[in-house]
Amino acid sequence: MTDEHSLPPPERRTVLRAAGASLALAAAAGCDIGPEEFGHPLHARGHGVHAEALSYATVLELDGLGRGVLVRTRAGHAIKIEGNPAHPASLGATDVFLESAVLSLHDPTRSRRIRRAGRALREAAGLPGFLGERRAALAAQGGAGLRLLTGPVSSPTQRRLIGTLLVAFPEARWHVHAPLGDAGAAEGARRAFGQAVVPVHDLSRAACVLSLGADLLGPGPAQLRQARDWSAARAPGRAGHAPLPGLIVAESVSSLTGAKADRRLALPPAGIEALARAVATELGIAAAGAAPQHPEAPGIAAALRAAGPAALVAAGRGQSASVHALAHAMNATLGAIGTTVRLIDDPAGAAEAGDLAALAEAMARGAVTDLLVLDANPVLDAPAGLDFVGLLARVPHSVHAGLYPDETALACAWHLPLRHPLESWGDSLAFEGTAAIRQPATVPLVETALPAEEILAWTAGQSAAGEALVRETWRKAWGEASFEERWLAALEAGVVPDSAAPARDLRLSADFNPGPAAPAAEGLTALFMPDPHFWDGRFAPNAWLQELPRPLDKLAWGNAALIAPQDAMALLLGDGAAVELTLQGRSLRVPVVIAPGQAPGVVALPLGGGRRAVGGVAPALGFDAYRLRPAEAPWAAPGLVLRPTGEVLPLVSTAWHHPVASDPPPVRRVAPGEVIPPLPEPRSLYPDWSYPGQAWGMAIDLDACIGCNACSLACQAENNTPVVGPEETARGRAMHWLRVDRYQYGPAEAPRTDFQPVPCMHCEKAPCEVVCPVNATVHDHEGLNLMVYPRCIGTRTCSNNCPYKVRRFNWGDYARATGALPVRNPEVPARPRGVIEKCTYCQHRIAAARTAANQEGRAIRDGEVETACQRACPTRAISFGDINDPESAVSRARREGRHYALLGHLDTRPRTTYLARLVTPSEEPP
Amino acid sequence: MSMAADTRPVADVALQGRFGWRFALSVGAAAAGVLLLAYAVAALLLRGTILWGTNIPFVWGFDLINYTWWIGIANAASLFAVILVLRRHGLRTAVNRFAEAAALAAVAAAALYPILHLGRPWLFYWVLPYPATYQVWPQFRSTLVWDLWGIMSHVIVTSLFWYTGLIPDLATMRDRAAARGRMTTARLYGVFALGWRGSVQHWARHQAAYRLVAALVLPMLVSAQTIVALEFATTLVPDWHQARLPLHVVVTGIPSGLGIVLALAALLRVGLGLSRYIDDADMDLLAKLLASAALGCSYLYAEALLSAALEDPATRAATLARLFGAYGLLHWGGAVLIVLLPQLLWLKALRHRALAAILIGLGAAAGAWLDRFVLVAGGLLRDHLPRIGPLYAPTLPEWMLLLGTVGLFALLMLLFARLIPVVSMFETRHEESEAEVP
Repeated sequence: MTDEHSLPPPERRTVLRAAGASLALAAAAGCDIGPEEFGHPLHARGHGVHAEALSYATVLELDGLGRGVLVRTRAGHAIKIEGNPAHPASLGATDVFLESAVLSLHDPTRSRRIRRAGRALREAAGLPGFLGERRAALAAQGGAGLRLLTGPVSSPTQRRLIGTLLVAFPEARWHVHAPLGDAGAAEGARRAFGQAVVPVHDLSRAACVLSLGADLLGPGPAQLRQARDWSAARAPGRAGHAPLPGLIVAESVSSLTGAKADRRLALPPAGIEALARAVATELGIAAAGAAPQHPEAPGIAAALRAAGPAALVAAGRGQSASVHALAHAMNATLGAIGTTVRLIDDPAGAAEAGDLAALAEAMARGAVTDLLVLDANPVLDAPAGLDFVGLLARVPHSVHAGLYPDETALACAWHLPLRHPLESWGDSLAFEGTAAIRQPATVPLVETALPAEEILAWTAGQSAAGEALVRETWRKAWGEASFEERWLAALEAGVVPDSAAPARDLRLSADFNPGPAAPAAEGLTALFMPDPHFWDGRFAPNAWLQELPRPLDKLAWGNAALIAPQDAMALLLGDGAAVELTLQGRSLRVPVVIAPGQAPGVVALPLGGGRRAVGGVAPALGFDAYRLRPAEAPWAAPGLVLRPTGEVLPLVSTAWHHPVASDPPPVRRVAPGEVIPPLPEPRSLYPDWSYPGQAWGMAIDLDACIGCNACSLACQAENNTPVVGPEETARGRAMHWLRVDRYQYGPAEAPRTDFQPVPCMHCEKAPCEVVCPVNATVHDHEGLNLMVYPRCIGTRTCSNNCPYKVRRFNWGDYARATGALPVRNPEVPARPRGVIEKCTYCQHRIAAARTAANQEGRAIRDGEVETACQRACPTRAISFGDINDPESAVSRARREGRHYALLGHLDTRPRTTYLARLVTPSEEPP
Repeated sequence: MSMAADTRPVADVALQGRFGWRFALSVGAAAAGVLLLAYAVAALLLRGTILWGTNIPFVWGFDLINYTWWIGIANAASLFAVILVLRRHGLRTAVNRFAEAAALAAVAAAALYPILHLGRPWLFYWVLPYPATYQVWPQFRSTLVWDLWGIMSHVIVTSLFWYTGLIPDLATMRDRAAARGRMTTARLYGVFALGWRGSVQHWARHQAAYRLVAALVLPMLVSAQTIVALEFATTLVPDWHQARLPLHVVVTGIPSGLGIVLALAALLRVGLGLSRYIDDADMDLLAKLLASAALGCSYLYAEALLSAALEDPATRAATLARLFGAYGLLHWGGAVLIVLLPQLLWLKALRHRALAAILIGLGAAAGAWLDRFVLVAGGLLRDHLPRIGPLYAPTLPEWMLLLGTVGLFALLMLLFARLIPVVSMFETRHEESEAEVP
């Protein structure tokens, strides 16, 4: 008998290759289910979802808060994430983080080995023994010296297990480290209501919103819900039934919310506070303090007052406690609490947990003998000056459990690979408290990896598998009676029904005082902000998020400090100019990018770039702003010194290179009720096509589009679009089939910003079709402009003749390059070197719907075919369907007055058309 | 003195046993260029167009730039030869043969690019209307298909033209070689001489055929370059989509081809000692022709500005970007080289100086190359939507391709000079016999 067990485990790449090859085989064999041991996936559809028989409802977290998703799987492999329509923090939509989770799951650079002192071990040699020894030693001393460090935790099961652990080890302490935590928000709520409640904003009911640095439409745990609500509130206005709700934004750094604002004020942090005080004073809040009159305040206050309880004041992450307190006070004064604002207890709030500073203090004292770091990366994201690595060295026994062999993993004595959320059981609360149970959607891809719940349970002295742990939590909550039914129903729906956090009925404190006014800042202020794609840095290893150009600055692969155009002019800096930033004695050399619309005097530093240790993705790209971030001013730090070095650093940017001169502009703006005149009847020498069956078309509502990039990434995930890497992206060869163009018109100090997603237009008179010498791009019977990859010889003439420039070329063998396609949708072919590719309107989804309809002997229903981009869109800006059917959503959109074709004067007769952005008449015309 | 004695040095060149170290060196350099070409092509086939500096929107780079440039040289050189033949101009005896050879070598260099520029070059034959299993035909509305026919006709007709003119001289070579007792050489020339015996009937048919083929070349000259220009002009790219483009490409191509012919003539005079056959008067005519063609191009450059002023805003912005944008310097550099530099040839002293003629001739060709660069790359600076890709800049593998095709051109010309009479002997004899008639 041969000794099979002595064979070394296959390299990860080999496994992936083998897995990819086996997909087709597995599907053919009809074994489209995962092995028994990883749970009991219910092949149920999420509510409101059709033709997704292979989807599992589960939940993924951002900042510890859950967003419900449906995971589409093939043969036990998760291949695509879509939003769960039943989950209140998703409503069926996804953001870039959710879309990219499937890539992180399959990331070849994920941690797959236990490490000791940073070195990967072949086997778990010594670890069980070590852990058992430590547990016994700690139990003997009541847990004295044991500390647990986690990120923000909303999960009831994890909370329960941490509770058990703290009971078992009464002397142990739990610390929560949230690099993007907002201490100001909690303090502000305390000043207003005496308690650290969090506001849940209901933008669907808001008639007038004042954002004080709040990126309501930007990335975050509540983005999907808030964006949908914001768009829903505009729907009556779009139809002309009601006035459009107002959105007034005061912010220091341009954001997606600012781009959609009716009125946008670029103010430094101190200016935002001054404005908040002035508006509050206008609203009659005497305690707001005698702020100097602000010229905008009376108008803003009048607009808010006019909206009354339908007004909403939101203070953003990183604003001072005073601003948060004033926002609460204004909401209370306007009567908005109960209508547009619901106050709830923080779902991830943990009053019993200490913070990182307390832990650092204990570590410095030598009071910590054992540290368990669970899914947190303090070596990266602790404040500068804390020297967490040095502190770790004083802890004799440190264990880190994480998804990647990251900075903390390498600095700790032991590292355990953690299971990806898509591989393990768990649960999570949404930003507004709704619970959802997380079930594994795929086989565990890393066998050594453990779920966080099991690590906690084991530490607390229990030995149970993930599912049992979660069941136990919910059995306690629901009781024994009818538990199974409720459990199965919750798994099937992906949410626990009626579990939203109850509203707290709180009154503004009688002795309300927002706190002392912030001193005026001298010189430059460093503003730290979450990166739109790296977030706090945890997504930096994800190649999709690296390569996707950011919504506003259009940078990919790396990051840059953003400076105001006025400051850039004064300092004679251009894009890519290297500067040396010095803050409190710490320096960093960074490239700058001019950010139109940024408040002068503010230098924005996105966090999470320049990671020193993240597996495969070019680690040297960008800079690490955490190295400058002071503990006492984690969001806005005055006293920044900027010294130009005269050097230029290369940036990977997909921003356009010249001003837009076209008339009419690509993104049109109209007043409510305004009708865009149709183009004159086009004439052609060629006869028109006829479409007896379906004729597919897409309409994109630019009034609803917030430029969040979810569509672009959803398209990449769905269509096996390869990652080409920083060099190729810099060369202008990124492969995204759907790009989101950003237009900024007007003065750089106060630009008007528009977004426009541009997929293939599927033109009736497609210029690409006639120039292809080999008929590789052709028109189909339903109006799709098809690309026949095997026929393409790669002349690239079609791209030359495409006025929308939506065609992408495989300059190299991207799809087969290492790491380019770790996960593959088997329904979409990978394209070889030397051929053109482009948006297909998710033709495979059309085909699937047609098959389903044929089997049931009916026509395809409107809405049955959802393209990946359409499905991802948080504001439902994209409608897709049959334009032959006058009642389809897309036909209705095409009949609207603000319907227009991009570059319609070229008479390409695009099938993808746009609805113009609406602007209130008070705003200056575009 | 017999007529035969007159052309003996011409034939002797080809029949020499050794050619000297200079020739060997030149062949060596050209062969190295061809090796470079082979390397660049192999790298391209193995790794793909990823080696180039192209992107979206600049999907074409050196591939199309060099293609249009070589086609321009080929066209202008054969245009020149054809006009001489058809008009029975005295100059034809001197420069006809190598102008034709230059055209052929340039077409050979050009014809590589349409194949190499493909993403999957090994499938180039899909452009041909062959009976494929799936009955897929080429898209006949595509200018690229027109271009295939354009370049194929160009190759065929140019070779025919060159070969037809060569037949009587190949017979002479056969006889001369036989007289020297080199029977293998004689047989080889004899095969290609197609049994030419110099009968009156042969001569009559030859003259008719020669002039007929020459007349066939004529439309090719307009069509080939026009079709190349149509690859650009029929697109929706604002700067390219102009009716003036074919004229621009055809006309600016002429100085480049003439420049190459002039440079070659000067080289042959010096290198092979043929100043008696390519005399000062011939050089004068050739140089003045180049200078006048260059002067004609000035109209095109002025007209570009005029049409930019009259066009719709999108086209105007695009044209102005091409003329004054990122590649503006190349455009105006090209204009100087094409239009102004050849004007020096009006100076008699300069045009009789071999070095000056070579430099000015090559300069005009380089000018046309710059013009093609700015056409292909600069034309895409402004499109209907804002451009998002970075600028196009050629990479080392692209330069290797260009150098490689220059090497191929040079090698073909050197072999031509080695194996075939560089000056038409029968035409020279004919000229001189006519001159002897009182």
